[in-house]
Amino acid sequence: MYTLLHGFYKYLVQKDEYCVLILGLDNAGKTTYLEAAKTKLTKNYTGIHPSKITTTVGLNIGKIEIAGIRLNFWDLGGQSELQSLWDKYYAESHAIIYIVDSSDRDRIDDSKETFDKMIANENLRGVPLLVLANKQDIPECMGVREVKPIFNKNAHLIGKRDCMVMPISALTGDGVDEGIKWLVDCIKRNSFIRPARNHEEN
Amino acid sequence: MGVLFSYFKSLLGAREMRILILGLDGAGKTTILYRLQVGEVVTTIPTIGFNVEQVQYKNLNFQVWDLGGQTSIRPYWRCYYSNTDAIIYVVDSADKERMGISKDELFHMLREEELGDAILVVLANKQDIPGCMSLKEVHQALGLEALKNRTFQIFKTSATKGEGLDMAMEWLANALKNKK
Repeated sequence: MYTLLHGFYKYLVQKDEYCVLILGLDNAGKTTYLEAAKTKLTKNYTGIHPSKITTTVGLNIGKIEIAGIRLNFWDLGGQSELQSLWDKYYAESHAIIYIVDSSDRDRIDDSKETFDKMIANENLRGVPLLVLANKQDIPECMGVREVKPIFNKNAHLIGKRDCMVMPISALTGDGVDEGIKWLVDCIKRNSFIRPARNHEEN
Repeated sequence: MGVLFSYFKSLLGAREMRILILGLDGAGKTTILYRLQVGEVVTTIPTIGFNVEQVQYKNLNFQVWDLGGQTSIRPYWRCYYSNTDAIIYVVDSADKERMGISKDELFHMLREEELGDAILVVLANKQDIPGCMSLKEVHQALGLEALKNRTFQIFKTSATKGEGLDMAMEWLANALKNKK
Protein backbone atom coordinates (compact mmCIF):
# COMPACT_ATOMS: atom_id res chain seq x y z
CA MET A 1 0.00 0.00 0.00
CA TYR A 2 2.80 2.32 0.92
CA THR A 3 4.60 1.51 -2.30
CA LEU A 4 1.46 2.23 -4.26
CA LEU A 5 0.91 5.61 -2.64
CA HIS A 6 4.56 6.44 -2.83
CA GLY A 7 4.61 5.55 -6.50
CA PHE A 8 1.53 7.66 -7.11
CA TYR A 9 3.05 10.60 -5.25
CA LYS A 10 6.21 10.27 -7.28
CA TYR A 11 4.17 10.17 -10.46
CA LEU A 12 2.46 13.41 -9.47
CA VAL A 13 5.57 15.35 -8.55
CA GLN A 14 7.87 13.91 -11.17
CA LYS A 15 9.04 16.37 -13.75
CA ASP A 16 10.33 15.68 -17.20
CA GLU A 17 14.04 16.13 -17.27
CA TYR A 18 15.95 17.60 -20.21
CA CYS A 19 19.65 18.16 -20.72
CA VAL A 20 21.08 21.39 -22.06
CA LEU A 21 24.68 21.64 -23.15
CA ILE A 22 26.49 24.97 -22.80
CA LEU A 23 29.30 25.31 -25.34
CA GLY A 24 31.53 27.98 -26.83
CA LEU A 25 35.16 29.00 -26.99
CA ASP A 26 37.16 29.46 -23.82
CA ASN A 27 36.51 32.76 -22.06
CA ALA A 28 33.14 33.19 -23.79
CA GLY A 29 31.41 33.28 -20.43
CA LYS A 30 29.80 29.84 -20.21
CA THR A 31 30.26 29.33 -16.48
CA THR A 32 29.27 32.92 -15.73
CA TYR A 33 26.15 32.37 -17.81
CA LEU A 34 25.29 29.20 -15.92
CA GLU A 35 25.69 30.99 -12.61
CA ALA A 36 23.55 33.89 -13.85
CA ALA A 37 20.84 31.50 -15.00
CA LYS A 38 20.88 29.65 -11.70
CA THR A 39 20.73 32.91 -9.76
CA LYS A 40 17.80 34.21 -11.77
CA LEU A 41 15.72 31.08 -11.79
CA THR A 42 16.41 29.46 -8.45
CA LYS A 43 14.99 30.85 -5.25
CA ASN A 44 17.44 31.75 -2.51
CA TYR A 45 20.44 31.04 -4.63
CA THR A 46 23.38 33.38 -4.77
CA GLY A 47 25.84 32.35 -7.42
CA ILE A 48 29.60 32.31 -7.33
CA HIS A 49 30.87 35.84 -7.68
CA PRO A 50 31.94 36.33 -11.33
CA SER A 51 35.43 37.37 -10.25
CA LYS A 52 35.92 33.97 -8.66
CA ILE A 53 35.07 31.96 -11.74
CA THR A 54 38.14 30.33 -13.24
CA THR A 55 38.77 28.43 -16.45
CA THR A 56 36.67 25.28 -16.58
CA VAL A 57 38.48 22.05 -17.26
CA GLY A 58 35.85 19.54 -16.44
CA LEU A 59 32.15 19.89 -15.95
CA ASN A 60 29.86 22.21 -14.04
CA ILE A 61 26.29 21.13 -13.62
CA GLY A 62 23.24 23.15 -12.80
CA LYS A 63 19.60 22.20 -12.31
CA ILE A 64 16.76 24.59 -12.92
CA GLU A 65 13.06 23.97 -12.62
CA ILE A 66 11.01 26.06 -14.96
CA ALA A 67 7.57 25.83 -16.56
CA GLY A 68 6.93 22.36 -15.21
CA ILE A 69 10.12 20.76 -16.45
CA ARG A 70 13.58 20.32 -15.08
CA LEU A 71 16.58 21.50 -17.04
CA ASN A 72 19.90 19.89 -16.43
CA PHE A 73 22.76 22.11 -17.62
CA TRP A 74 26.17 20.81 -18.56
CA ASP A 75 28.83 23.48 -18.81
CA LEU A 76 31.99 22.14 -20.41
CA GLY A 77 35.48 23.55 -20.82
CA GLY A 78 35.96 25.45 -24.07
CA GLN A 79 39.72 25.35 -24.63
CA SER A 80 40.62 24.00 -28.05
CA GLU A 81 42.14 20.80 -26.69
CA LEU A 82 38.97 20.10 -24.74
CA GLN A 83 36.61 20.62 -27.66
CA SER A 84 37.13 17.04 -28.77
CA LEU A 85 35.38 15.93 -25.60
CA TRP A 86 32.17 17.77 -26.43
CA ASP A 87 30.75 15.12 -28.72
CA LYS A 88 30.53 12.61 -25.87
CA TYR A 89 27.56 14.61 -24.61
CA TYR A 90 25.74 15.22 -27.89
CA ALA A 91 23.60 12.09 -27.98
CA GLU A 92 22.03 12.87 -24.61
CA SER A 93 21.47 16.59 -25.11
CA HIS A 94 18.05 18.11 -25.73
CA ALA A 95 19.30 21.60 -26.55
CA ILE A 96 22.52 23.49 -27.13
CA ILE A 97 23.38 26.93 -25.83
CA TYR A 98 26.32 28.30 -27.76
CA ILE A 99 27.98 31.31 -26.19
CA VAL A 100 29.92 33.86 -28.20
CA ASP A 101 32.18 36.54 -26.82
CA SER A 102 30.88 39.55 -28.78
CA SER A 103 33.77 41.72 -27.67
CA ASP A 104 36.41 39.40 -29.16
CA ARG A 105 36.42 40.33 -32.85
CA ASP A 106 39.68 38.47 -33.46
CA ARG A 107 38.20 35.12 -32.59
CA ILE A 108 34.68 35.47 -33.93
CA ASP A 109 35.59 33.44 -37.03
CA ASP A 110 37.18 30.83 -34.86
CA SER A 111 33.99 30.66 -32.82
CA LYS A 112 31.92 30.33 -35.98
CA GLU A 113 34.10 27.47 -37.28
CA THR A 114 33.75 25.62 -34.00
CA PHE A 115 30.00 26.17 -34.17
CA ASP A 116 29.81 24.74 -37.69
CA LYS A 117 31.82 21.73 -36.71
CA MET A 118 29.52 21.11 -33.79
CA ILE A 119 26.23 21.40 -35.68
CA ALA A 120 27.52 19.13 -38.44
CA ASN A 121 27.53 16.28 -35.93
CA GLU A 122 24.91 13.65 -36.67
CA ASN A 123 23.94 13.26 -33.02
CA LEU A 124 22.75 16.83 -32.84
CA ARG A 125 20.26 16.56 -35.66
CA GLY A 126 17.01 18.31 -34.75
CA VAL A 127 18.31 19.76 -31.51
CA PRO A 128 17.32 23.40 -30.84
CA LEU A 129 20.22 25.85 -30.90
CA LEU A 130 20.41 29.04 -28.90
CA VAL A 131 23.31 31.29 -29.83
CA LEU A 132 24.01 33.96 -27.25
CA ALA A 133 26.00 37.04 -28.13
CA ASN A 134 27.45 37.55 -24.69
CA LYS A 135 29.27 40.44 -23.06
CA GLN A 136 26.82 43.08 -24.30
CA ASP A 137 27.83 45.14 -21.29
CA ILE A 138 31.14 45.96 -22.99
CA PRO A 139 30.65 49.24 -24.92
CA GLU A 140 32.46 48.40 -28.17
CA CYS A 141 31.18 44.85 -28.54
CA MET A 142 29.39 43.55 -31.62
CA GLY A 143 25.64 43.83 -31.40
CA VAL A 144 23.27 41.04 -32.28
CA ARG A 145 22.86 42.55 -35.75
CA GLU A 146 26.50 41.93 -36.42
CA VAL A 147 26.71 38.49 -34.84
CA LYS A 148 23.56 37.08 -36.36
CA PRO A 149 24.62 37.16 -40.04
CA ILE A 150 27.91 35.49 -39.18
CA PHE A 151 26.17 32.53 -37.58
CA ASN A 152 23.39 32.34 -40.13
CA LYS A 153 25.79 32.00 -43.06
CA ASN A 154 25.62 28.24 -43.10
CA ALA A 155 21.87 27.94 -43.02
CA HIS A 156 22.04 24.57 -44.75
CA LEU A 157 23.89 23.11 -41.77
CA ILE A 158 21.33 24.46 -39.35
CA GLY A 159 18.56 22.97 -41.48
CA LYS A 160 15.17 22.63 -39.86
CA ARG A 161 16.45 23.10 -36.36
CA ASP A 162 15.10 25.89 -34.19
CA CYS A 163 17.89 28.42 -34.08
CA MET A 164 17.93 31.79 -32.40
CA VAL A 165 20.56 34.44 -31.82
CA MET A 166 20.04 36.65 -28.78
CA PRO A 167 22.04 39.37 -27.07
CA ILE A 168 22.84 38.87 -23.41
CA SER A 169 25.14 39.93 -20.68
CA ALA A 170 25.90 37.07 -18.34
CA LEU A 171 27.62 39.49 -16.02
CA THR A 172 24.61 41.72 -15.44
CA GLY A 173 22.06 39.00 -16.14
CA ASP A 174 20.35 40.92 -18.95
CA GLY A 175 18.57 38.65 -21.40
CA VAL A 176 19.35 35.45 -19.55
CA ASP A 177 15.80 34.37 -18.74
CA GLU A 178 14.35 35.34 -22.14
CA GLY A 179 16.74 32.90 -23.78
CA ILE A 180 15.89 30.09 -21.42
CA LYS A 181 12.17 30.66 -21.90
CA TRP A 182 12.59 30.40 -25.66
CA LEU A 183 14.60 27.25 -25.20
CA VAL A 184 12.01 25.65 -22.94
CA ASP A 185 9.33 26.13 -25.58
CA CYS A 186 11.55 24.58 -28.23
CA ILE A 187 12.48 21.64 -26.04
CA LYS A 188 8.82 20.94 -25.27
CA ARG A 189 7.89 21.17 -28.94
CA ASN A 190 10.77 18.91 -29.82
CA SER A 191 10.05 16.34 -27.14
CA PHE A 192 8.39 13.87 -29.47
CA ILE A 193 11.73 13.53 -31.28
CA ARG A 194 13.90 13.79 -28.20
CA PRO A 195 11.84 12.55 -25.26
CA ALA A 196 12.70 13.54 -21.70
CA ARG A 197 15.28 11.58 -19.87
CA ASN A 198 13.33 9.74 -17.24
CA HIS A 199 14.83 9.42 -13.88
CA GLU A 200 13.54 6.38 -12.07
CA GLU A 201 15.19 7.22 -8.78
CA ASN A 202 13.83 10.76 -8.64
CA MET B 1 11.86 30.43 14.68
CA GLY B 2 13.77 28.36 12.19
CA VAL B 3 15.19 31.50 10.65
CA LEU B 4 16.37 32.67 14.03
CA PHE B 5 17.94 29.35 14.74
CA SER B 6 19.81 29.19 11.48
CA TYR B 7 20.97 32.75 12.02
CA PHE B 8 22.55 31.80 15.32
CA LYS B 9 23.97 28.71 13.78
CA SER B 10 25.68 30.79 11.13
CA LEU B 11 27.13 33.00 13.84
CA LEU B 12 28.78 30.01 15.42
CA GLY B 13 30.80 29.54 12.26
CA ALA B 14 30.61 27.22 9.35
CA ARG B 15 30.81 23.50 9.73
CA GLU B 16 34.12 21.98 8.96
CA MET B 17 34.25 20.53 5.46
CA ARG B 18 35.30 16.96 5.15
CA ILE B 19 37.57 16.15 2.26
CA LEU B 20 39.11 12.86 1.22
CA ILE B 21 42.31 12.62 -0.78
CA LEU B 22 42.28 9.37 -2.72
CA GLY B 23 44.27 7.80 -5.52
CA LEU B 24 46.62 4.93 -6.24
CA ASP B 25 49.78 4.42 -4.22
CA GLY B 26 52.63 6.69 -5.20
CA ALA B 27 50.34 9.29 -6.76
CA GLY B 28 51.46 11.95 -4.29
CA LYS B 29 48.52 12.18 -1.89
CA THR B 30 50.51 12.64 1.29
CA THR B 31 52.82 15.18 -0.36
CA ILE B 32 49.73 17.14 -1.43
CA LEU B 33 48.20 17.01 2.04
CA TYR B 34 51.28 18.48 3.66
CA ARG B 35 51.77 20.94 0.85
CA LEU B 36 48.30 22.23 1.68
CA GLN B 37 48.85 22.25 5.39
CA VAL B 38 52.36 23.52 5.93
CA GLY B 39 53.22 24.66 2.42
CA GLU B 40 56.36 22.57 2.24
CA VAL B 41 57.47 19.33 0.69
CA VAL B 42 57.88 16.74 3.39
CA THR B 43 59.58 13.39 3.01
CA THR B 44 56.88 10.78 2.94
CA ILE B 45 56.75 7.04 3.22
CA PRO B 46 53.93 4.91 1.77
CA THR B 47 50.87 5.54 3.90
CA ILE B 48 49.43 2.50 5.62
CA GLY B 49 46.25 3.71 7.27
CA PHE B 50 45.62 7.43 7.01
CA ASN B 51 46.84 10.93 7.76
CA VAL B 52 44.33 13.51 8.83
CA GLU B 53 44.99 17.24 9.14
CA GLN B 54 43.08 20.48 9.59
CA VAL B 55 43.65 22.80 6.68
CA GLN B 56 42.49 26.40 6.54
CA TYR B 57 41.92 28.02 3.21
CA LYS B 58 40.15 31.32 2.65
CA ASN B 59 38.19 31.25 5.91
CA LEU B 60 37.07 27.72 5.28
CA ASN B 61 38.07 24.92 7.56
CA PHE B 62 38.80 21.64 5.94
CA GLN B 63 39.35 18.35 7.60
CA VAL B 64 41.47 16.54 5.07
CA TRP B 65 41.88 12.79 5.13
CA ASP B 66 44.66 11.21 3.15
CA LEU B 67 44.08 7.48 2.85
CA GLY B 68 46.67 4.88 1.89
CA GLY B 69 46.47 3.93 -1.76
CA GLN B 70 48.01 0.49 -1.94
CA THR B 71 45.98 -2.29 -3.55
CA SER B 72 45.47 -4.20 -0.31
CA ILE B 73 44.12 -1.24 1.61
CA ARG B 74 41.96 0.38 -1.08
CA PRO B 75 38.91 -1.63 0.03
CA TYR B 76 39.00 0.30 3.31
CA TRP B 77 38.43 3.64 1.60
CA ARG B 78 34.71 3.07 1.85
CA CYS B 79 34.81 3.18 5.64
CA TYR B 80 35.53 6.90 5.34
CA TYR B 81 32.92 7.88 2.78
CA SER B 82 30.08 9.12 4.97
CA ASN B 83 29.55 12.91 5.24
CA THR B 84 32.24 13.63 2.69
CA ASP B 85 31.89 17.04 1.02
CA ALA B 86 34.56 16.65 -1.60
CA ILE B 87 36.99 14.16 -3.02
CA ILE B 88 40.41 15.07 -4.28
CA TYR B 89 41.44 12.26 -6.60
CA VAL B 90 45.14 12.24 -7.32
CA VAL B 91 46.58 10.64 -10.44
CA ASP B 92 50.22 10.15 -11.32
CA SER B 93 50.29 11.61 -14.84
CA ALA B 94 53.58 9.87 -15.59
CA ASP B 95 52.26 6.41 -14.76
CA LYS B 96 50.59 5.52 -18.03
CA GLU B 97 50.40 1.79 -17.33
CA ARG B 98 48.26 2.13 -14.27
CA MET B 99 45.86 4.76 -15.65
CA GLY B 100 43.32 2.01 -16.29
CA ILE B 101 43.46 0.81 -12.70
CA SER B 102 43.13 4.38 -11.52
CA LYS B 103 40.04 4.80 -13.67
CA ASP B 104 38.46 1.62 -12.33
CA GLU B 105 39.08 2.67 -8.74
CA LEU B 106 37.63 6.11 -9.41
CA PHE B 107 34.42 4.79 -10.93
CA HIS B 108 34.11 2.09 -8.33
CA MET B 109 34.29 4.79 -5.70
CA LEU B 110 31.85 7.16 -7.37
CA ARG B 111 29.20 4.46 -7.54
CA GLU B 112 28.87 4.64 -3.77
CA GLU B 113 25.65 6.30 -2.73
CA GLU B 114 27.29 8.07 0.20
CA LEU B 115 29.42 10.05 -2.22
CA GLY B 116 26.46 11.10 -4.34
CA ASP B 117 26.72 14.78 -3.43
CA ALA B 118 30.46 15.02 -3.15
CA ILE B 119 32.31 17.41 -5.42
CA LEU B 120 35.14 15.85 -7.36
CA VAL B 121 38.52 17.40 -8.04
CA VAL B 122 40.95 15.39 -10.13
CA LEU B 123 44.60 16.33 -9.83
CA ALA B 124 46.80 15.26 -12.72
CA ASN B 125 49.88 15.27 -10.53
CA LYS B 126 53.59 15.00 -11.31
CA GLN B 127 53.37 17.38 -14.24
CA ASP B 128 57.04 18.19 -13.63
CA ILE B 129 58.07 14.81 -15.04
CA PRO B 130 58.97 15.07 -18.74
CA GLY B 131 56.78 13.01 -21.05
CA CYS B 132 53.86 12.85 -18.65
CA MET B 133 50.30 12.85 -19.93
CA SER B 134 48.59 16.15 -20.69
CA LEU B 135 45.38 17.28 -19.08
CA LYS B 136 43.33 16.09 -21.99
CA GLU B 137 45.05 12.71 -22.09
CA VAL B 138 44.40 12.19 -18.39
CA HIS B 139 40.78 13.30 -18.88
CA GLN B 140 40.34 10.72 -21.63
CA ALA B 141 42.27 7.94 -19.91
CA LEU B 142 40.09 8.30 -16.84
CA GLY B 143 36.94 8.39 -18.95
CA LEU B 144 35.72 11.50 -17.15
CA GLU B 145 33.19 12.27 -19.88
CA ALA B 146 31.06 9.51 -18.39
CA LEU B 147 30.46 11.65 -15.30
CA LYS B 148 27.31 13.48 -16.19
CA ASN B 149 25.66 14.17 -12.86
CA ARG B 150 28.48 15.58 -10.87
CA THR B 151 30.37 18.84 -10.85
CA PHE B 152 34.03 18.11 -11.31
CA GLN B 153 37.18 19.80 -12.40
CA ILE B 154 40.62 18.54 -13.37
CA PHE B 155 43.84 20.41 -12.64
CA LYS B 156 47.48 19.99 -13.55
CA THR B 157 49.62 19.94 -10.46
CA SER B 158 53.11 19.31 -9.31
CA ALA B 159 53.00 18.73 -5.59
CA THR B 160 56.77 18.83 -5.20
CA LYS B 161 57.00 22.18 -6.96
CA GLY B 162 53.74 23.42 -5.48
CA GLU B 163 52.21 24.29 -8.84
CA GLY B 164 48.52 24.19 -9.57
CA LEU B 165 47.39 23.37 -6.04
CA ASP B 166 46.31 26.91 -5.28
CA MET B 167 44.09 27.03 -8.32
CA ALA B 168 42.53 23.72 -7.44
CA MET B 169 41.86 24.73 -3.85
CA GLU B 170 40.47 28.07 -4.91
CA TRP B 171 38.00 26.37 -7.20
CA LEU B 172 37.12 23.80 -4.56
CA ALA B 173 36.57 26.46 -1.90
CA ASN B 174 34.19 28.33 -4.19
CA ALA B 175 32.36 25.20 -5.23
CA LEU B 176 31.90 24.14 -1.61
CA LYS B 177 30.72 27.57 -0.52
CA ASN B 178 28.24 27.50 -3.32
CA LYS B 179 26.95 24.05 -2.55
CA LYS B 180 25.71 24.92 0.93
